[in-house]
Parts: sequence; C-alpha cells; structure tokens
Amino acid sequence: MKAEQELELQAYLDGELSERAARRVADWMAKDPEARTLAAELRMTKAALAGNDPELAVPETRDFYWSTIRRAIESLVPAEPNPDLGWLLAWRRYLVPLSSLALVAILAVGIARFSGITGSRDPWMNLTEVESLSDHITSHSFRSRSENVFVVWISPQDQVQEETPATEEEDDIVIQ
Amino acid sequence: MALQQNKSALNDEKLVRSAQRGDMDAFEELVARHRDKIYARAFSMMRSEDEALDVSQEAWVKGWQRLKQFQGESSFVTWMTRIVINLCLDQLRKQKRQKAESIEQLAEDSGGVERQMPVVTTNPTEGLERRELRARIDRALNQLSYEHRTVLILHEFEELEYKEIAKRMQCSIGTVMSRLFYARRRMANLLAGFKRDELSP
Repeated sequence: MKAEQELELQAYLDGELSERAARRVADWMAKDPEARTLAAELRMTKAALAGNDPELAVPETRDFYWSTIRRAIESLVPAEPNPDLGWLLAWRRYLVPLSSLALVAILAVGIARFSGITGSRDPWMNLTEVESLSDHITSHSFRSRSENVFVVWISPQDQVQEETPATEEEDDIVIQ
Repeated sequence: MALQQNKSALNDEKLVRSAQRGDMDAFEELVARHRDKIYARAFSMMRSEDEALDVSQEAWVKGWQRLKQFQGESSFVTWMTRIVINLCLDQLRKQKRQKAESIEQLAEDSGGVERQMPVVTTNPTEGLERRELRARIDRALNQLSYEHRTVLILHEFEELEYKEIAKRMQCSIGTVMSRLFYARRRMANLLAGFKRDELSP
C-alpha cells in the first residue's frame, strides 16, 4: 500500500474527506483486505485513546499553587500612586515647559556673560551709547558700576537741565 | 473560608463574570476547580513535573490577563486548555531548536520505523480496567517523540481537526496527517508490546 493511500484511509476514518472521496475510499476498502486490516488497527487505537486522557493531580497544595499565580498576577498590576506625592504628579505636566524656560534663561545669561568677556568686561557698556533721532529731544544716560544701574532719560531740547557735577560713582555719563 | 464556600457554590460562568470584573477570589476558585486538568495537559505534553507546573501556572496568569477576551464560545476549561497547549508548544519548539536534529528523529517523522511495524490485529487493551488503560497510554505517550505525542493529544484528546492542528503546530496539513498516522501506528505497537510483556512469564 502506498503512503498516500494510508493517509487517505486515515482521513476517511477521521471524517476529514469530502463525500465523493469518502465513497471512493469505502469502495476501495470493500475490495482490499489489507486496507481493512489497517483500518481496524487505526480504529482500535482511536477507540482506546478516546476519553482516556491520563489523569493527574497537581503535586502541590491548593494554597501553594495559587500563591505563585497570585504573586505573578499582582506583579503585573501597576502600583497605586502614593497620595502624598499627588501634588508632584499634578505639577509633573508643567515640569517640562518650566525646565525648558529655565534652560533658555540659563543660555541667555551665559551668552550675555560670554559676549561681555569677549567684547568689553562689562556687558552694560554696550548700552551706554544712546542716539537721539530728533533734534528736538535730548537724552541722557547714567551708569553706576557699583550699583549696577543704567538709566536713560529723555527730555525736550528746550528743557536742558543743568549738568550735575560728576561724582566718583557717576563716571560714565554720556550727553547727546 | 466562608467566602470560599460561597464561591464554590457558583458555576464557572458566574465565576468568570466576577473574575472579569477583577474579583480575584472568583478566579482562585476557577483555578482550584480546573488546576488538575490544566496541569495534566501540560504534563502530557512536557513529560516533566517541574515544567508542567511552571507552564500550567503561567497559563493561569495568561488566562487572567486575557479574561476579558473570553466570550464564552467554548467552556472556560476548554479555553484555558487551549492557552496551556499553546504555551507548551512554544516551550517545546524552543527546546527543539536547542537540540540538533538527529537522523533517528528525521526517520521517525517520515515513518521510517513505523512503516516496518506489523499491523496489530488483536486488541491489546481489551479487558483492561480504565485506570490501567490510562496508565498504559501514559507510558506509551512517554515513548513517543514530541511531534507524535502532540499530534495525538491534539487530535484524540482535544478533538481538533487537521487544519486546526496544522495551525497550532505551524506545519502543513500533510505533515499533520503523516505524523498522526505514524503516531497511531506506534501507539498500537507499544500497547501490543505492553500486553505481550504482561502475558510473558
């Protein structure tokens, strides 16, 4: 008997063939004693196994077996958030934009410092020159190194004020 | 204790519904009720007590995770059995990849040995008590290759069709048919051999 015929015979017994193919195999079995003998063995094995799945009991107590499963399940569940840290979680969404702003501020200060070192020692020095675009306006600027103050005041041309005598602090006045 | 007694009075369907709502006590009752069957299926495939314990417990954890997907098309225990079978197949495939294919294994898959076996004409299980028959079947399963054992379990015990077995074992229907044929032939001869041993002085 060919291997294909053996498999077809088995498929017939398992009810896996189409009606037409099943009729063909049934006819062949009726004529072939070898096919009938093989079919009998296959049927016998099938019948012996049916419903006789070996039975076994878990070799552990109910509690011990379950405790392993329970631990594994509990490790899957995400932990409840700590209520004491609730405010932190509420603010967490603002942390990213705030930290970005802080970074920008640090960079700006750093750049200002850097430009002060490369250009002049004092970055405020860059602001001491004030240019008036009008003939009718007078502007004054005042800078104090010790107070770290820089002031600009603007007045009409006809209200020119008396020049204040320079002191030790007022050593960087520009009048235009 | 009172809670457990209360749960044990409920049927599977009600326990599943409670477990789907997160009631772990209900799930524990389901585990207690069906753990032997799930473990036995794992053992029949893995043939190792430790591996069967690990895989069966993993199956219950997966069952809990996927519980919301269970719609009741089959019984709960059938659904759980499918989960443990899939885990066993994954595990066995991993183990097989680690082993080098032997010539004997290849010959067994293609029926090199089984084709030479005589056809068993006398029923070797006739007159056996069910307990003894089950013990002999278990002994015979132990002597089959994992491919032959698995295909027999899926077809004869789980009553899956060729197509479904092929899908689960990730092979062709033709391979399922040939494995099943040679597994049955080998099983018949093993059972006949046990009978001969019993009769011999």
